[in-house]
Amino acid sequence: MNQSVKVSRTLNLTDILVTIVVSLVFGLIFRLMGPVYDLFKSFGLQMDALIYGIWFIAGPFAAVLIRKPGAAFLAETVAALAEVLFGGSGGIVNLYYGLIQGLFSEAIFAAVFYRRFSLIPAILSGLAASAGSLILDVYYGYLTDLAGWNLTLNIVFRFIGSALLAGLFPYVLVKGLEKTGVTQLIRPVSKEDYDVLNK
Amino acid sequence: MCSINERTRWGVTELRLAFPKQKEMHFKDLTFRYTEGEKILLLGPSGCGKSTLLQVLSGLIPSSVPMAIKAKKKEIPSNWGFIFQDPETQFCMPYVDEDIAFVLENRKIAREKMPDLINHYLNLVGLDFPDPHQLIHSLSGGMKQRLAIAGVLALEPDILFLDEPTALLDPQGTEDFWQSLQKVSNNRTLVIVEHKIDRVIEFVDRVVLFGNDGTIIDDGPKERVLKQQKRRLVEDGIWYPGAWRDHLSQRIQTKKLPDYQATVLTLDRFSVKRNGHIKCSIDSLMINRGEWVAVIGKNGAGKSTLLEGLKRLLPTKGKCIWNLTHPEEAVAFVFQNPEFQFVTDRVDDELAFSLRIKQCPPDLIRRRVCEMLQKFALASVRGNHPFQLSIGQKRRLSVATALMEQPQVLLLDEPTFGQDAKNTFQLLDQLSELQQQGTTIIMVTHELEIVRHYATRVLEIDAGRLVSNAHRDRGSGSEVIGNGHQMDEGEKLVSRN
Amino acid sequence: MDIKWTRGKNWLAEINPSYKLLIIAALFIVFLCVDNLNVMIWSSLFFLIVYLMHRSIPVKLSIILLFMALLTSLFSMTAMTLFGKGTHLLFQFGLIRISTESLARGLMLGLRSFTFGMLSLIFATTTEPVPFFYSLMQQCRMPVRFAYGFLAAFRMLPMMAEEFQILRQALKVRGLSRAKGVAATYNRFKRYCLTMLVQSIRRAQRTAVAMEAKRFSMTEARTFYYSIGWSRYDFFFSLLIGFTVAASFILAVWIPLTPFVHVLDQY
Repeated sequence: MNQSVKVSRTLNLTDILVTIVVSLVFGLIFRLMGPVYDLFKSFGLQMDALIYGIWFIAGPFAAVLIRKPGAAFLAETVAALAEVLFGGSGGIVNLYYGLIQGLFSEAIFAAVFYRRFSLIPAILSGLAASAGSLILDVYYGYLTDLAGWNLTLNIVFRFIGSALLAGLFPYVLVKGLEKTGVTQLIRPVSKEDYDVLNK
Repeated sequence: MCSINERTRWGVTELRLAFPKQKEMHFKDLTFRYTEGEKILLLGPSGCGKSTLLQVLSGLIPSSVPMAIKAKKKEIPSNWGFIFQDPETQFCMPYVDEDIAFVLENRKIAREKMPDLINHYLNLVGLDFPDPHQLIHSLSGGMKQRLAIAGVLALEPDILFLDEPTALLDPQGTEDFWQSLQKVSNNRTLVIVEHKIDRVIEFVDRVVLFGNDGTIIDDGPKERVLKQQKRRLVEDGIWYPGAWRDHLSQRIQTKKLPDYQATVLTLDRFSVKRNGHIKCSIDSLMINRGEWVAVIGKNGAGKSTLLEGLKRLLPTKGKCIWNLTHPEEAVAFVFQNPEFQFVTDRVDDELAFSLRIKQCPPDLIRRRVCEMLQKFALASVRGNHPFQLSIGQKRRLSVATALMEQPQVLLLDEPTFGQDAKNTFQLLDQLSELQQQGTTIIMVTHELEIVRHYATRVLEIDAGRLVSNAHRDRGSGSEVIGNGHQMDEGEKLVSRN
Repeated sequence: MDIKWTRGKNWLAEINPSYKLLIIAALFIVFLCVDNLNVMIWSSLFFLIVYLMHRSIPVKLSIILLFMALLTSLFSMTAMTLFGKGTHLLFQFGLIRISTESLARGLMLGLRSFTFGMLSLIFATTTEPVPFFYSLMQQCRMPVRFAYGFLAAFRMLPMMAEEFQILRQALKVRGLSRAKGVAATYNRFKRYCLTMLVQSIRRAQRTAVAMEAKRFSMTEARTFYYSIGWSRYDFFFSLLIGFTVAASFILAVWIPLTPFVHVLDQY
């Protein structure tokens, strides 16, 4: 029997639920890990920009995990909507940030036609999300009116932080998950698996 | 409906199925067919693929769960309902009424008819809430599983598939579940996968026994199969009626336990807080070295809270004095879900972890790890990821890691929960051996038989208070059984449960 | 941690949730274009009053949330106030350079953050997830697979929070919490994420299968248990928001409290 192994590219119900749930997990962990973020922010020295990347982690993570179009965007939107519903500090504002970050994050994987979900696209996706947040910050946060050195600090920190926290870290996490075997629940059936049936 | 001779038949013919990333297929040309009105029990060792077959029979594989399968012929019924093992993952809405409404919505039933139907289905399973707008999260496991039946009944199914529905329930929940199911099972076809068969065996008529390799070993009327395959049932760890009796009778009568007079734990006006509220308090209690303490009580009574308080994992008040030199290390804790305790990516690293933190010499670590791998039958999987182990192996690993530092006291939170008979008995034997050597064991359990045959002291917790502290004669289980008075007390304690 | 935290009936809870979200989201755009500090001051004051008047949560919780919103607003103005561009110097110490302009812009950011904080809290404390997603499906044509996916996932939040507590205890027992240093911190953080993710992914997959076993279809039409429609409260809400915004603009002209009509201009 020649079963043509055609992998569906659309998100099925399992993909959707997994994506939503993992972005909630990240939200919860960051919330419960304590108000570290606000502490960073209080000095005004842009230290918060360094860990700003944790807000974009869900997008690249979901994309590398699910490997289908729409996962990154959905994950970021979920994070934002949850924030709106549960009255996070940013609330409505984060809805806009979430949408833009999700779009930018998704764009990287779209640019490689959803064929590669390796480390480089993951890092680029994290960087793209932070670029997206920067655009909103120019209007909403008057970013360009900061003193030159402070602005530079913000941007440099933000990009370094995103590459590590929203690019490298999600990639490492997915690799870790693969070892636990849990990813087999959500990855499509491979051709090798079908070949076993014809022995 | 059809007449007797032309009842509808369903099933699979020459099914082939491969699990992801396996070199060999699991089911090779398996044929299984069943007829309308049959009540069938599928039995077999864990990992034999019974649950997978159930999902194939319902069509969930491959439509909802992608898996490599092919079959010469598949006859999938259209009107079925499926009840899963995990009470937490069967619902998608926060409230009871909303979750049954979800099924009615799927069936495109008009909104006006919904409230009456919701009450109707809840009544069928004996869940009579004054207001069905109840948070599902607040229900007990047993109630959740009955709600799952109600949800499935809302599909008006002819066939019910049940995948170990009581594996994660306590004895009371299990009993309630089967009672509810029995009421609604008339005129329906049942295909059940279950490990605890002493209750379900009453209303099935056909038993199918699977082997480790996914082949059908026996298939026929329940009386014949159970009688002829008794040895296999023991080997496969199935909870058949009388499993406890058989195990206890062949248990080697150990020599009388050494009677240590030393007190190991003293509690004085001790209370434990969870989320800022006192959830368990004990006025005064003393436990001796070498005791086996069973902590019993209803769900949510505060048993786990007490255990966590003893290990200082929760804020406590009052005195909790361990008569030990290093209580931090000498009191080990085994969690209900082993996975939370795993901190590395390999079984052997997992065992070595606590010794490495203490910077023990590598030689010693290697020796201890090998010893434990042998003792807990984990040597063959030493390089595996802890999360990839079977349920039984995970439990053994979590106990083994707790024993690495050779603790004097072992705290266990429902260690036999969800375990098959074989693993339960193995674990109890190992704990008995530790107790022989003077280790104090304090365990939360729902299992009446453990309380009866192993415990030397029974603490009953109700609504956060110690309501009974029954000391028992030291000695092995069978002696205790003979002791009428003690027995009655134990019975009474647990039946209130 | 409960999904429901609204208490009793409140007229703000009766508003169509999609409409409420739309209005509040639109206000974001409006205030994004405002660079008049006086408008911001007046509107912050008005939305604070609206927040204090609406009684959907216990007073104590209401005050705590208000305090947190104030703190967030304060943090969001520090960088701009201390290190913003500007020529009319007020204070200088090392790198810190507070000028009239940076102060005005900082205040602007802080007040804006505060206004949205109030709006977000009003929304969050008067909106429950179930009616919200039913409304998104019925009024905004949100695909059912996303709406029910969200709801199924939100149901898991209390379980996740419980798991987090257990995990914290378990890691303490295993001694992972004892280890110090950057590597140990990273290791611990990774373990938290991995274990939580494994549990949640498994749970999500099982729930999805259970939903499909209950004949959930992503494509077919369905009926709804709750019908979310329109009421006079939607009209009242429009009036309330309209008056509040209009009043801040008018009062900013009548009673300008500061000279900063355009904070982005150079003075």
